Amino acid sequence: MIEFKGLIKKFGNRTVLNGLDLIIREGEIVFILGTSGTGKSVLLKNIVGLMRPDEGEIWIDGEEVSRFSEDQYFSIRKKCGMVFQQPALFDSLTVFENIAFGLRRHFRLSEREVTDRVQLALKLVNIQGVEQKRPTQMSYGMQKRVSLARTIALQPKILLFDEPTTGLDPITTTVINHLIQDLSKQLKSTSIVVSHDMNCALSIADRIVVLDKGQIEAIGTPDELKKSQHPLVRDFLAEVLSL
Amino acid sequence: MISLFTETFLGVFRPPFRKKEFFQQLHFVANTSLAIIVFCVSFAAIVTILESSFHMKLVIQNDSMVPGFAAVLILRELAAIVTALLLASRIGAGYAAEIGSMQITEQIDALKMLGIDPINYLVVPRFLASIAGTMMLTVIANVFCLLSAILVSQLYLGFTFGMFISSMHRFVHFQDIIFSMIKGACFGAVIPIVASYFGFNCKQGAEGVGHATTNTVVLASIGIIVVDFILSYTFSHIY
Repeated sequence: MIEFKGLIKKFGNRTVLNGLDLIIREGEIVFILGTSGTGKSVLLKNIVGLMRPDEGEIWIDGEEVSRFSEDQYFSIRKKCGMVFQQPALFDSLTVFENIAFGLRRHFRLSEREVTDRVQLALKLVNIQGVEQKRPTQMSYGMQKRVSLARTIALQPKILLFDEPTTGLDPITTTVINHLIQDLSKQLKSTSIVVSHDMNCALSIADRIVVLDKGQIEAIGTPDELKKSQHPLVRDFLAEVLSL
Repeated sequence: MISLFTETFLGVFRPPFRKKEFFQQLHFVANTSLAIIVFCVSFAAIVTILESSFHMKLVIQNDSMVPGFAAVLILRELAAIVTALLLASRIGAGYAAEIGSMQITEQIDALKMLGIDPINYLVVPRFLASIAGTMMLTVIANVFCLLSAILVSQLYLGFTFGMFISSMHRFVHFQDIIFSMIKGACFGAVIPIVASYFGFNCKQGAEGVGHATTNTVVLASIGIIVVDFILSYTFSHIY
């Protein structure tokens, strides 16, 4: 379980998260929606200590982690897998090395086992035969999938997706969205997805959180949100309902 | 930047020791920079000895001390500083652009997520390779500077090889070579720290990377000149 209590994050005079309270239950898929600059990515980065809150608490599986040192955060990061907004693949390494990098670091595996886990991760994201390619030799969509493979190869308990489908074509977007749902079920992970895509949120989320100005404006199941009269939620729904 | 230097320095003694990355970086610093360093320092030495001769003849109507004077200038100052300034532009800009690009494409965050300390993985090998590489290149630069000076003094100034060496003997001491290597090592330490600092603090976009590289070259050059002053002042009390 992940719990945020009165989370505040500021950048200079700008308050990005403004006393946010939220509980994410184990095994659920939660979509966080909001316009740009409302603190969605900041929220994700606070979970894994890539950013630290100015005030408030973050509880992960019964531990208050917001004041953890970098070394202490290692155990939290080991539990979490994060797919970044950018593919964030290491340019100097091949696809195989990119995926094997974390496996070698986190687990004591034989080279055979590493190879098997890399191939399984690539199979799950529907790309194979690219192990020896460099990230720069692949399309953006392929890089995103490899990035996803790198994350799921570690079989994390918590999956964090930061706009996983931004910049992708509609077909790849659909594939990635289904992957998120399938992987969450297969790995029995808790998934938090930051997105602008209400359509996808309505089809695969267990709950949807709508953020605005660093605070939760609306929260509920897809069915509950469809009935919401909140103007921001209606704006997000407008595009989906007009389809 | 002080905190980055402290963390890097402590990281040198903290495992894992990344030998593969160290040798890759050493190749980048030393091997790939060798030709340009040799070319530039040789010309700098030629200009130095010709100018010294011209001015000595003009002022004291005698240039017999030119070989010794030039050798001291080369060993104490010229080879180390020219090498370091060239490396600040070449490897400093390279490091800043590389780490800056990694920062803005979230590769640094990805490293942290995989449990890798970016300072240990990126900065420490570059720091050690830059120190070792700059020190080695300084020694090589000294040799090529002296060879160029000997060649020019034979061809244009009328000194024989023996005259040059005997004049050099009177002026140059063994500690000049040691001090030159110490300078090289210190200059080599400045470059990756400045580059990594601007790389880690790189702002988004191509403009951000451009700023990071420009700032690195400017600040590393200033840093090298300041460190040179401090070391020269300190060494002057040891002679």
